[in-house]
Amino acid sequence: MDRQSHADISRHSKETFVLNLADDELILGHRDSEWTGYAPILEEDIAFSNIAQDEIGHSLVWFSLYQEMTGADPDAMAFKRNWNEFTCCRFVEYPKGDFAYTVVRQYFFDIAEQVKLESLLDSTMESMSQTAERLLKEEAYHRLHSESLLKRLGNATVESARRMQSAVDLAFPQSAGLFEPVETESELIKAGVFKCHDALLNKWLEIVVPSLESVDLQLPVEKRDGKYKPTCTPDFGGRRGSHTAHLKTLVDDLQKVFRMAPEAQW
Amino acid sequence: MAERTTEQKLTEFEARVARGEKIEPGDWMPDEYRKNLIRMIGQHAHSEIVGQLPEGKWIPYAPGFRRKLTLIAKVQDEAGHGQLLYRAAETLGKSRESMIEELLAGKAKYANVFNYPTPTWADVGIIGWLVDTSAVINQTMLAQSSYGPYARAMKRICYEESFHIKQGYDSVVALAKGTPEQRQMVQDAINRWWFPTLMMSGPPDSLSQHTAQAMKWRIKTKSNEQVRQEFVDHIVPQIRALGLDVPDSDCQFDQQTGHYRYSQPDWEELKRVVNGDGPCNKERLDIRRKAHEEGRWVREALAAQSNKVD
Amino acid sequence: MDTQWETYEVFHQSKRGDPHEHVGSVHAPDPQMALQLARDQFARRMKCSSLWVVRSKDITATDYQDESFFAQVVDKSYRDPKAFDAPDKLEN
Repeated sequence: MDRQSHADISRHSKETFVLNLADDELILGHRDSEWTGYAPILEEDIAFSNIAQDEIGHSLVWFSLYQEMTGADPDAMAFKRNWNEFTCCRFVEYPKGDFAYTVVRQYFFDIAEQVKLESLLDSTMESMSQTAERLLKEEAYHRLHSESLLKRLGNATVESARRMQSAVDLAFPQSAGLFEPVETESELIKAGVFKCHDALLNKWLEIVVPSLESVDLQLPVEKRDGKYKPTCTPDFGGRRGSHTAHLKTLVDDLQKVFRMAPEAQW
Repeated sequence: MAERTTEQKLTEFEARVARGEKIEPGDWMPDEYRKNLIRMIGQHAHSEIVGQLPEGKWIPYAPGFRRKLTLIAKVQDEAGHGQLLYRAAETLGKSRESMIEELLAGKAKYANVFNYPTPTWADVGIIGWLVDTSAVINQTMLAQSSYGPYARAMKRICYEESFHIKQGYDSVVALAKGTPEQRQMVQDAINRWWFPTLMMSGPPDSLSQHTAQAMKWRIKTKSNEQVRQEFVDHIVPQIRALGLDVPDSDCQFDQQTGHYRYSQPDWEELKRVVNGDGPCNKERLDIRRKAHEEGRWVREALAAQSNKVD
Repeated sequence: MDTQWETYEVFHQSKRGDPHEHVGSVHAPDPQMALQLARDQFARRMKCSSLWVVRSKDITATDYQDESFFAQVVDKSYRDPKAFDAPDKLEN
């Protein structure tokens, strides 16, 4: 298989790729951190605060890689960019909702991250494979925790099943945004830096569908030619800067204090 | 084995405490001791949980990655401390459910200092620095508590609080050395938090009904005034070294005593705020009540599930 | 019924070779969740190579008030290495 040399891949493609990942983690981490002090029980407050710190920490890892590529400071990227310059998927922008929505979103995101990072392990770009290897170590625990909650809440009581099903109905079309095809990625795929989104989406569905069905949660998918096919409309747009109003509010909050003295030390 | 009388048991208990030995769960203890401890440890636990809110409110707004991560970790630690303390109280025979119910029903007390608002980012650093310093002085003393589970919980808590103080101080230094707006913000925060922090050590012992008994049974080993003095002596020079000040012109070093003189806080204000009339009492309990109610289905579902998954 | 769940006692081993130490307890709905919640409460700072969780009610313990359980009256100093005054060397 032909591999373009990395020198040929435009900087813009690589940078966009890393920025998408960084923004996803930052915005989700911010949403996760909204549970600190408000979780259903003390022990889960403590546990979920770790998830929040990990996701924000992961975004910092990607922003640091972005800094190596572009010189842009991570704090400047996160705390000074305008909200419509963010490239996170819309999925992570939505409010935290009830705990069911949070658990489902976290699970969908954790499996997506696992699938993406695993596919980067044999990336022809060393900085990608090294970063992926590093982050995968923490991802294993995230998956364990979100899956534990998902599988327990999925069909525990009438109320939990109802809430979890509503959460899945809402989150599933939104989660497609995690795999939104991005034009600049075609040269990354040709060069073996990354794998195509369709392949990753399939891998993700193969994990997520049986997992949810095992606790009686329904998904709008059908099986065709041995593959799962979603039957709902995907909530795309985030990668192209088409965001929900929720992101504007979120970024306003995120940057409020920093912008009081953007050149100062905090 | 011959049964000892209550008097004999009390004598042995007090001798054990006087020797510096720990009382453990299951040991005979006077009812007053048990009740006192449940009240104290419970209040301490409630303080940590309610205390998550004044700072937790600023997590979405924390300026920069480092401040954001540090603040999440700090508020997480407070949940962790609450968890340790509720557990210590449970060893005395009181369930966590009942303690939480009492807190949410407005029937339990917690550290009054958490009834004050945090209107600016600087408040977060000041709480981490001032409030936690005062807490640590108190808590280091409580780590010598005669009750084993409480002493063990306190050692762990003190260890973690020492990071909180450093984190708070670091944030305050950045503001003190920053723009005029940043400096003003942090001085305003000190002005608002100084007296509430002084109140944390408790009313002068002449006004406190609990101190004498608590000291005899080594639930406390220092008086409220001693703890407050220690705090003032420690923190005032540090505040002034940053070019900031306390809102008390009478706060001056006395060469003769080797201590700082300072004005007493308004103890009538303490009474009002403790009894529910503070600026944030209602708001904070409402938030906690809402979180508790909204989480009910989760607790019930996971409990129901415990029979299925093992 | 709304409960705060059962408690599990948590034992933490810092590194292989160390004994497991009791560090506290967690409220949890089942043993697997107890392990996860213990990891977040008791191992987020301390280096940890192993965690055990045991339902509190499964612990059988001595009663502090029954000191006779540990009473030693008869002289058993022969257990103590100091009790034997053996010379290091034999003199000829």
